[in-house]
Amino acid sequence: MENQLIDHLFRYHSGKMVSVLTRIFGLSNLEIVEDAVQDTFIKASMSWRKQVPENPEAWLTQAAKNRILDIFRKLKTEKNYLPNFYQGANTIAINELFLESEIEDAQLRMIFTACHPKLNAKDRIAFALKTVSGFSSKEIASALLTKEETVKKRLVRARKVIQKENLTFQIPQGKALKKRLESVLEVLYLIFNEGFHSNKKEQLIQEELCGEAMRLCKMLLKNIHTRTSESYALFALMCFHAARLESKTNAQNQILDLEHQDRSLWHYPLIELGNSMMYKAVENNEFSCYHYEAAIASEHLKAKTFNATNWDKILYWYKCLNSLQPMANHLLTMAVICIQKNDLQKADTYLSKLNANDFEQRKYLFYGTKSDFYAAKKNLKKAITHINLAIESVNNQLEKEHLIKKKIKLHQN
Amino acid sequence: MMKQFMMIFIGADYADLGLSPEELQTRMGKWFAWNDKMQQAGFLVGGEALTPDIRRIVGKNRTVTDLTSAEVKEIVGGYYTVKAKDFDAVQEIAQDFPDYDLGATVEIREIMVFDK
Repeated sequence: MENQLIDHLFRYHSGKMVSVLTRIFGLSNLEIVEDAVQDTFIKASMSWRKQVPENPEAWLTQAAKNRILDIFRKLKTEKNYLPNFYQGANTIAINELFLESEIEDAQLRMIFTACHPKLNAKDRIAFALKTVSGFSSKEIASALLTKEETVKKRLVRARKVIQKENLTFQIPQGKALKKRLESVLEVLYLIFNEGFHSNKKEQLIQEELCGEAMRLCKMLLKNIHTRTSESYALFALMCFHAARLESKTNAQNQILDLEHQDRSLWHYPLIELGNSMMYKAVENNEFSCYHYEAAIASEHLKAKTFNATNWDKILYWYKCLNSLQPMANHLLTMAVICIQKNDLQKADTYLSKLNANDFEQRKYLFYGTKSDFYAAKKNLKKAITHINLAIESVNNQLEKEHLIKKKIKLHQN
Repeated sequence: MMKQFMMIFIGADYADLGLSPEELQTRMGKWFAWNDKMQQAGFLVGGEALTPDIRRIVGKNRTVTDLTSAEVKEIVGGYYTVKAKDFDAVQEIAQDFPDYDLGATVEIREIMVFDK
């Protein structure tokens, strides 16, 4: 069997199985469920050494089902669980829970559980990556740039809250759904961004994060209750960003900014998919942050060359975005665009509204922009002062090298 | 003259190592590759994986113990029988055994042939 064919099979299947089994056993038995899924995979990895089954996914599903029956027998609590499935108007047999549509439903329930308001915002991502997407603590730690211990603590804390608050494994309805969907979209957005904006060496996990966020978002679009213009906009945004994933680094794994990316590497099918998602997203007039961010990303993709970028339009979208969600970052970007357009007076207005402390660990972005601003004004002395401040406050080595190169250029002028 | 050998895989059980789905899958990929290679070269005769449950009978009192892999560090997890020219040839194939990094061992034994 081709290795590629089974690529990610375990990871995807793990999330599916954990979700389905949780639906059967309830959230309070989450740990048993996770162990059972793990057992299934170990069994697969041993027995497939000799011969890979023709349909590995079906094999895993069957093995997981068998494992449930095992656990039922072991726990001797069949009576406590089974009535839920065999009685009442909503009778649903265990076999039916493994139908594709039911698996997706269970996964949606799991995402909505992971984004429950009772869970700490930071714990949500770790918990979702673990239970919905089958990432290990180590992989989550590496993806979120935290220690494995921290991730483990977050997972334990999330499980405790679920137990203590007796959370149900359901997609909320009515008004509660709207609120919770916002949190789900935010988590997916963050997962995607971790993948897209991180400068880590382990490229693979980063791409996996983007892929996972997109897979989950696509699932939201399949369900009539979660298929909102906001979800469409988020999916469009992900498509637009993902189309550029390949071109973000060069052969030496150095980051390339938009100006220096090889635009021929952009993935057009994804851009087209993003466009058609965008049409769906604007069918009504409720625009979210994701709408504006997608509009900005799409504007960049439309430009044949960096110089052909329509900065006026991008600036307009940023203004919309900032009025919906005022953020120092947006204002700074607006200043950068004005410097691009050589509208230094406007850039100055934006910059004067900001100070370095607005940016915490990312002060260097503020100083770097100020330096660009003074360089554009031909005030070399001030430009150098600010590039020095930027170099002092940057942590990331790649970014530092980038800034030092800029400084050398300033000295050459 | 081809002889038959047994490659015996000894080490901790996967279940006790707490491998993630991703890690298990990577490992499985390596087993597939190794298996394919041996099959194509015509080495492979057969083989099985063993479950981690152990029943051990010891001594003149026939003392019976039930063990699980967690209690035994070195457990035989499976074997392959292969045909090859000599030990060196099997040692060469065994280079691709995927679990050395988990501290596992491959033991090679020649299958004894009795005269008829």
